[in-house]
Amino acid sequence: MKSRRLVAAGATGLVVAMLAACGGGDGGNSASSMYTWISNASDRAQWEAFVTAAQQEDPEFDLRLEGPSFEDYWTTVHTRMGAADAPCILTTQAARAQELDDILMPLDDLAAEHGLDISMYNDAMIEALTVDGTVRAIPYDAEPVVLYYNKDRFAEAGLDEPGLNYTREQFLADARALTGEGRYGFAVPPVFTGGPGIPLSSANGNVPVADGELQLTEPGFVEDMQWAFDLVAEHGVAAAPQSGDPTDVHLQEFTSSNAAMIIDGPWFYETLTSETDGEVGIAVVPSRSGEPRGNIQGSGFGISRSCDDPDTAFANIMKITTPEVVGEVGRTRGTVPSVARSVDAWAEGKPAQDVAVVEALLESGIPLETTPTWNELETTFTRYSSEGYRGHRSAEEILTMLQESVR
Amino acid sequence: MSAATTAPADRRATTSRRRPRSEGGLALRYLAPGMTGFVVFIVVPLLASLTISFFDWPLFGVGDFLGLENYREMLTDDPVFWRVLGNTVLFTVAFTALNLVLATALAVWLQRLGSWAPFFRILFFVPVVVPMVANALVWRLMLDDGGVVNSALGLVGIDGPSWLGEPALAMVSLVAMSIWQGIGYNIVVLSAGLNNISPIVLEAATVDGAIGWTRFARIVFPLLSPAIFFCTIMTVIGAFKVFTQPYMLTGGGPGDATNTLVLYLYNQGFSFHDLGYASALAWVLFVFVMLVTALQFAGQKRWVSYDS
Repeated sequence: MKSRRLVAAGATGLVVAMLAACGGGDGGNSASSMYTWISNASDRAQWEAFVTAAQQEDPEFDLRLEGPSFEDYWTTVHTRMGAADAPCILTTQAARAQELDDILMPLDDLAAEHGLDISMYNDAMIEALTVDGTVRAIPYDAEPVVLYYNKDRFAEAGLDEPGLNYTREQFLADARALTGEGRYGFAVPPVFTGGPGIPLSSANGNVPVADGELQLTEPGFVEDMQWAFDLVAEHGVAAAPQSGDPTDVHLQEFTSSNAAMIIDGPWFYETLTSETDGEVGIAVVPSRSGEPRGNIQGSGFGISRSCDDPDTAFANIMKITTPEVVGEVGRTRGTVPSVARSVDAWAEGKPAQDVAVVEALLESGIPLETTPTWNELETTFTRYSSEGYRGHRSAEEILTMLQESVR
Repeated sequence: MSAATTAPADRRATTSRRRPRSEGGLALRYLAPGMTGFVVFIVVPLLASLTISFFDWPLFGVGDFLGLENYREMLTDDPVFWRVLGNTVLFTVAFTALNLVLATALAVWLQRLGSWAPFFRILFFVPVVVPMVANALVWRLMLDDGGVVNSALGLVGIDGPSWLGEPALAMVSLVAMSIWQGIGYNIVVLSAGLNNISPIVLEAATVDGAIGWTRFARIVFPLLSPAIFFCTIMTVIGAFKVFTQPYMLTGGGPGDATNTLVLYLYNQGFSFHDLGYASALAWVLFVFVMLVTALQFAGQKRWVSYDS
């Protein structure tokens, strides 16, 4: 009887200890370590570029990097930050800041103590990285989503290239002219954040979230999403994506010149200009009025709530987010800097029109505000979008279902 | 006299020194290594997931106690749960039935094939040992709108459908790929079962005039039924746990057409960070599979013959 009690007590203790270990949040941290996505050598080179740039000011500066691929990052970051040896610094996309609310420490007090002027960073990015009224990460880039186009395909079709003004009607006419013989004028992925729906809506001033609340059924947003679906379902200027397609399916179509245009962020500028079969240019995302209006996305560096030395961690973040550092990384790696006066460094060696497009979109840019349940929205939309793009369901049906069902 | 009275006592003393205090203690010592692994890797995670299912448990931090709220919400407020449960049952029925019929037919065919039988047995078994992810990628290339299948259909003037874009066809594609991937295992088990049937019995049946379908239905099937029963149990359990195929091939779409219980569970736990709800789903799946398996065992008396 006694041994049974001992076994029962031992088992209970073990369960409790394991659960506590899983949920535990405190322990030693390294203020000079950063957890981020490192999908490939290019990702690692980007993060190392921050360190190298910071070393120009402080030769002793160093940052230990660790992390999984981009796809795995959003799952593992929660469990990694719960470990005793978790890094203090972590990276977040602005669109994921709400979702990481429980692990990102508010930085306003630290910024005040360290004398960091947060107002020098892009307003839209700071707004997107603000959760419950507090800034959770310092942005290193501020990237307005743009329209990439294949100049060679436009020349072949005898079309004028788009630029700083691009109406939806002109875009559709161009896309139709570029579609045929097994090739398309446009390409779309099945995803929500990285798809064309949000940038096309933002260009008309319609957004999926306002004041922290999902407003997917707002008429303007529904209409713009339906217009994006109709590009495939009604006009046939792009191939219908499937729910199981990789998130970069549109990039593959564009680089192989099967698609003449795509909508995505400037963070792919170097990749697309160097790997596409044909010369690549960028233009503003088409809108009803044709006027440029950017949807600003980007990422920043935050501090884990479990960090035991946030002061040192914040000092390190400050070193890799100075105007000089973000400008230098923009120059060497192509990310659009989060500080306006550093954009000149990014612009070095780029065509004047491409620079003008990014500058115009930065000026008029609105942030991509999200909610804590964004990943649920993203996952569910990805499953349903193929039905929208095939005309099996309307944007109103899908967005209403999402608005009501996202838990 | 004194020697006679002390000798047994000495023997008892010697015996008690050599033997452990009790047989239970001895058994415990022998079982300890295996039981430790069983407790650490099976019992504790089971209890942990059961505990978590009563909480609103995020991936980071400690959760809030909810009692049975996760179960109540699942069963009464979550329409997606019933949809994915229906999908899982549909997949299980279609996959198990087709798998067993085809595996039995192929095993019988292989038994009569002669010297080529081992070659084909290995051929059918290759997909079983190839990682599911690789299989799924190959099938996606084949079933894509502009993939191998539709290109082949195009050569004969047929405009192929969207195998992964149409809800009904997506489930058919999922079942087809799963059968291709998993049928080799059942073929090997059923081939072994067929080889265990006494040739004398088959010869006697033939002499008595039982040939063709009659011989299979009246003689071979009853003698093969224990192997078929084993395959049924394993296939049903595996089918209820289907995850990689929809995860890689369709992502659960289009819509929720191929969203299965384990894929839904995975998304709740690791994409939406709701470990409490995911654990509750896991326990419902566990109980459901246990009940179905118990029903299968209860029903086996009617059709499984252990006579050799």
